Amino acid sequence: MAEDSFLHLARPLGPVSVGTAPTTAPLNVVIQPQAIFSVLDHSLRRNADQERVIGTLLGTRSEDGSEVEVRSAFAVGHSEAEDQVEVDMEYHKQMLALHLKANPREVLVGWYATASELNTFSALIQNFYSGQGDGTWPHPAVHLTVSTEAGKDLETRAYISAPVGVTAERAADSAAFIPVPYELRYGEADKSGLESIANAKDAEDRSTSVTSDIESLERAIEEVLSMVDRVSRYVESVIDEETPASTAMGQFLLNALALAPKVEPADIERDFNNHIQDVLVVSYLANTVRTQMELSTRLATAQLTLGGGGEGPATEGQRNQRGKGQGRPRQDRAEEARA
Amino acid sequence: MAETPAPLAAVQVEALVVMKIIKHCSQTFPTTATGAIVGMDVDGTLEITNTFPFPVVEVPAESHFENAAPNPAAAAPRAKANAAYSAEMIRMLREVNTDANSVGWYTSANMGNFVNMNVIENQFYYQSQLNERTVALVHDVSRSAQGSLSLRAFRLSSKFMTAFKENKFTSEDLQKSNLRHPDIFEELPVKLHNSHLITSFIHQLQTPTSSASTELPSSLAALESSPFTKTSTLTPNLDNLSLNIDPFLEKNCDLLLDSIETHNTEVNNYQYYQRVLGREQQKINAWKAKRAQENATRATLNQPLLPEDEWQRLFKLPAEPSRLESMLNTRQVDQYARQVDSFVSSSTGKMFAVKGNLLPNETSN
Repeated sequence: MAEDSFLHLARPLGPVSVGTAPTTAPLNVVIQPQAIFSVLDHSLRRNADQERVIGTLLGTRSEDGSEVEVRSAFAVGHSEAEDQVEVDMEYHKQMLALHLKANPREVLVGWYATASELNTFSALIQNFYSGQGDGTWPHPAVHLTVSTEAGKDLETRAYISAPVGVTAERAADSAAFIPVPYELRYGEADKSGLESIANAKDAEDRSTSVTSDIESLERAIEEVLSMVDRVSRYVESVIDEETPASTAMGQFLLNALALAPKVEPADIERDFNNHIQDVLVVSYLANTVRTQMELSTRLATAQLTLGGGGEGPATEGQRNQRGKGQGRPRQDRAEEARA
Repeated sequence: MAETPAPLAAVQVEALVVMKIIKHCSQTFPTTATGAIVGMDVDGTLEITNTFPFPVVEVPAESHFENAAPNPAAAAPRAKANAAYSAEMIRMLREVNTDANSVGWYTSANMGNFVNMNVIENQFYYQSQLNERTVALVHDVSRSAQGSLSLRAFRLSSKFMTAFKENKFTSEDLQKSNLRHPDIFEELPVKLHNSHLITSFIHQLQTPTSSASTELPSSLAALESSPFTKTSTLTPNLDNLSLNIDPFLEKNCDLLLDSIETHNTEVNNYQYYQRVLGREQQKINAWKAKRAQENATRATLNQPLLPEDEWQRLFKLPAEPSRLESMLNTRQVDQYARQVDSFVSSSTGKMFAVKGNLLPNETSN
């Protein structure tokens, strides 16, 4: 993560805007993990001779335009030579159209590059993305750099730009990049996915299998136990006067301890028994339903092999099955009502 | 690819694909979301390296008559417009060095309710029209919300494929082919795989919390606003410690009840068929007897005999209803029951733990 510090008070004015009231409120960038993952994936798939690759960022903008959420990204081909840069604009446009078809709510918010360097080409591309027409104008285009240099930490930075130009001719390929704060944010739904992915982080082959409920429960309990261990080690060392005590820490821990509910043992006993019975009954019923259904299918498809009796036993079986099937829902509902 | 490729044994999913699927599915939840997956097949392991969602096509009103799904997205993978869309998308992806082979599709599910005709037809379409070596990834949004990611890969078994192609789902056919509900799907083990860059990225995300020495905060407020209490870094996920599984069980019961209802309808259909069949048989027998009698009188009168097989033209036997629906239903119930089992096993464990904690004396007795 980039550790630079900068003060972010106001954003620069965009290119000359007639009739629109420009806003200078600070801009905050939120990045969702899948966007970063897309960028990283693209970086892996670059051509051998390419230093960096670029792509388009898509996402949503809050109503007042003060927060940009980068939700996804797609790669755009480009080539850089000594003195010129070529970006496959046709490709960008087509891909954008395709993407918007599936995600109508997302809009173009900016672009990324996989090197933290900012140069003339960056300015050129930035001016394209923030321009009128195809660009993000009147909103600023967000430029995200993710350095993927081997052997170094990944550095992510976000910028917006202000027009700057020594002369009118040079205005197209110059821009003042201004760093903006960003944060990585993921929703509740992403959490379980990220956790599973993180499980593979220490594995030699960088892969892991999807865990079952009970396995992840085990892991969560181990996690909690290790946290409790860490805290109690800390507390012990404070008691032994090995580490300096901290009032704030003590207060925090006390607050946490106070969260433990005070309930009468009888209440617990009763609730516990009720609950566990409900749970077990549901499980039992589910399995009964399963067995019944299986039996019914088997009887239905095995009728002729039963010999002389022919269809008799099968239909009877079905009738029984139906009787039970109808009986069960009521029981089930009653069970639910109790739960 | 080798001359005789090894059968698909496993599915390996890139982290990017996992995140993209989760994003798409949770965005549209509880409506079904579908999309295509691309990747490569390496020695029996299907490596899924990228994915893109299918656009949701507004279905014109008249399609209600052709038994269309109430939700257009569920049928999207086999819709014509989407074939063009995904071909276009894959062509675009090839230009930026992404693996450009379609290897299947994904769908979202709610509590494992994915065993239905839509899924079957989609997967059948993929396996028969496009490429035999394709899979369906099923991401269960509500189960993932409980803490552990639920992502499974399915294929239709070859047995089921043949049966489905010829639409052989009468009892007789099923007896012959010995096709039963566990044979519909083949589940493939799913592995998650990270690229080096993502591994490195995740390590960086986690470093702040595990770094050892830090200064102690000066006040409670400082502690609460410190970076450690923020959730922006990868915090351990403790959702699956939650004891509140009632909503899940309830939902499961609802789904089970629905299945039972479907089952009843199917059984009723079948009984109706049998009644009609019996009635027709009776009529035919009566007709045959009458004809035989007539012929007997004709024979004594030395008149030419009437043909005895005319009944085949006069009476039409009802067609046997397809057993497919009830077979799918059974498979679905099977799925629910296993799901409930898995809930129950973890929740009873949790409950005993809680009880043991709150009533330490009780347990020692």
